[in-house]
Amino acid sequence: MPIEVINLNHSYKEGTPFEKQVLFDINLVIDDGEFVGIIGPTRSGKTTLAQHFNALHIPRRGKVLVDGVDTKDKQADLITVRHRVGYVFQNPDYQLFAPTVGEDIAFGPLNQKLPGSEVEKKVREAMDQVGLDYKTLYNRDIFALSGGQKRRAAIAGVLACRPRILVLDDVTAGLDPRGREDILAVIRKLHRRQNITIIFISNSMDEVASMAERIIVIDGGRVLMDDTTKKVFARFAELRSIGLELPEVSVLIDELQQAGFKLPDGILSVNEALHSISSALREMEAQK
Amino acid sequence: MELTKNITLGVYLPGKSFIHNLDPRTKIIAATIIIVLLLFSRSYPAFALSALFIAALIIFSGLPAGYVMRGLKPMLPVLAIMWVFQLFLFKDPDAAVYFQWWIFEATEAGLQMGNLIILRVLFLFTITTFLTLTTSVVSLTDGLESMLKPLQAIGLPSQELVMTLVIALRFVLILAEELEKIIKAQMARGVAFDRGNFIQKTRKIFPVFLPLFIGAFKRAEELIVAMDARSYTGGKGRTKMKTLHMGRVDLGAAALMIIYSGLLIYIITTTEPMI
Repeated sequence: MPIEVINLNHSYKEGTPFEKQVLFDINLVIDDGEFVGIIGPTRSGKTTLAQHFNALHIPRRGKVLVDGVDTKDKQADLITVRHRVGYVFQNPDYQLFAPTVGEDIAFGPLNQKLPGSEVEKKVREAMDQVGLDYKTLYNRDIFALSGGQKRRAAIAGVLACRPRILVLDDVTAGLDPRGREDILAVIRKLHRRQNITIIFISNSMDEVASMAERIIVIDGGRVLMDDTTKKVFARFAELRSIGLELPEVSVLIDELQQAGFKLPDGILSVNEALHSISSALREMEAQK
Repeated sequence: MELTKNITLGVYLPGKSFIHNLDPRTKIIAATIIIVLLLFSRSYPAFALSALFIAALIIFSGLPAGYVMRGLKPMLPVLAIMWVFQLFLFKDPDAAVYFQWWIFEATEAGLQMGNLIILRVLFLFTITTFLTLTTSVVSLTDGLESMLKPLQAIGLPSQELVMTLVIALRFVLILAEELEKIIKAQMARGVAFDRGNFIQKTRKIFPVFLPLFIGAFKRAEELIVAMDARSYTGGKGRTKMKTLHMGRVDLGAAALMIIYSGLLIYIITTTEPMI
């Protein structure tokens, strides 16, 4: 169930003196089972682009096809599109609105008009998937949750709709390292075990580098790069010039290379770095 | 999904026209005079004159007329309901009856009453929108504050009142943005805000208001802290960076207002009222 974006343009406040174009001629295809990272400076249009994937924005110029369904089509069943493409928002406070965790997660399935037993089953499964305890948390007041738990509840609320594609809009922002790792583990599991397509928007290059297989770089509303993670992060200078930081591992490797160490390009994980640095050191020992 | 697009009340569009350059006090007084005169207008010629006058103002201001009127769009259903109510429920035993069913009677008097109310609302809305579009919030506050100052003598906290008003105006846009985010989050989980009949649509609105109100209270609290942190203690002892001055343009505006008011009062007193 791929997403196809064809010549997409988008302007905010169209037809007013404040009109501002934020997306320019975007073309891309996201296939089933991919894990795609979207990065770019703030206000580059990442969120606006992603909200076209599940028909929250309807294109005026250009097209977005989800499973071949044109979201612009007046006859299109947008409810189904929105259930297939789940969207987890930047701020869980906008998403969680029911008084209790259980009721909030049940919101999606209830909109699908499923029978009560089916709804409960989906809620239980969704809570399981994100690691929220059904027994203790089902009746918990939403406002009594911690930041990390709120994120998980927000993800569960979307998972309960059984999406095949999941858009995650900067879902680790403002979490402590532990909460962050937990959420990332949940996302990895969803991708590996259920083969859910993940579209992962993030401002943390370390996260994107360790999670995504393919990266789309957006700058000023245009697609600047669209390639495998290794190839994108190999283009150091360009990324820096648009104000993006590099993954910490890449920065370290870069500095070591400049200091004269012979290290291969495209190292992104701590483990890879450890191996290549130690083998480089061994080689140097041997040469002495 | 873009809600803020249709909100023009409380938005300021910078410009260089003479209307933009007027002292805010002049603009506030002029707007008040226009509004009061509108409330006395009861005949079509009177409304026609006001329409001409306001159209001229909009042209002089250089604002896109379409944008000034855009804010009316979301109000149209409400206006339509008001019109229907007046048409069928306004009772006048002497008026000609067009149509009758059960207790509902469409009379000529009702029709005229409906038209009158719609016209008034349209004009009130246009004038207030026009005022905020051509006057920045800061100068609007300064103007109001300096006009309310004499009332401090009888214990009216003018600065605080004006501050409250400004915050309320600001919150219109903030709340609209917040509302948009909440609606999107619910749409993402399968609520079809754009489908269904009137009652179904209305029912979908309720779950939106809970997070909206919670958000508004949170924001209000944050605002209080921010104001406290910057030592806001109300109006006492506050001075202004920019002091207001009336100039020649304001004199011109006053002359224009006198001509318009004189003409309008003449028309109001000599023409046949609608009802």
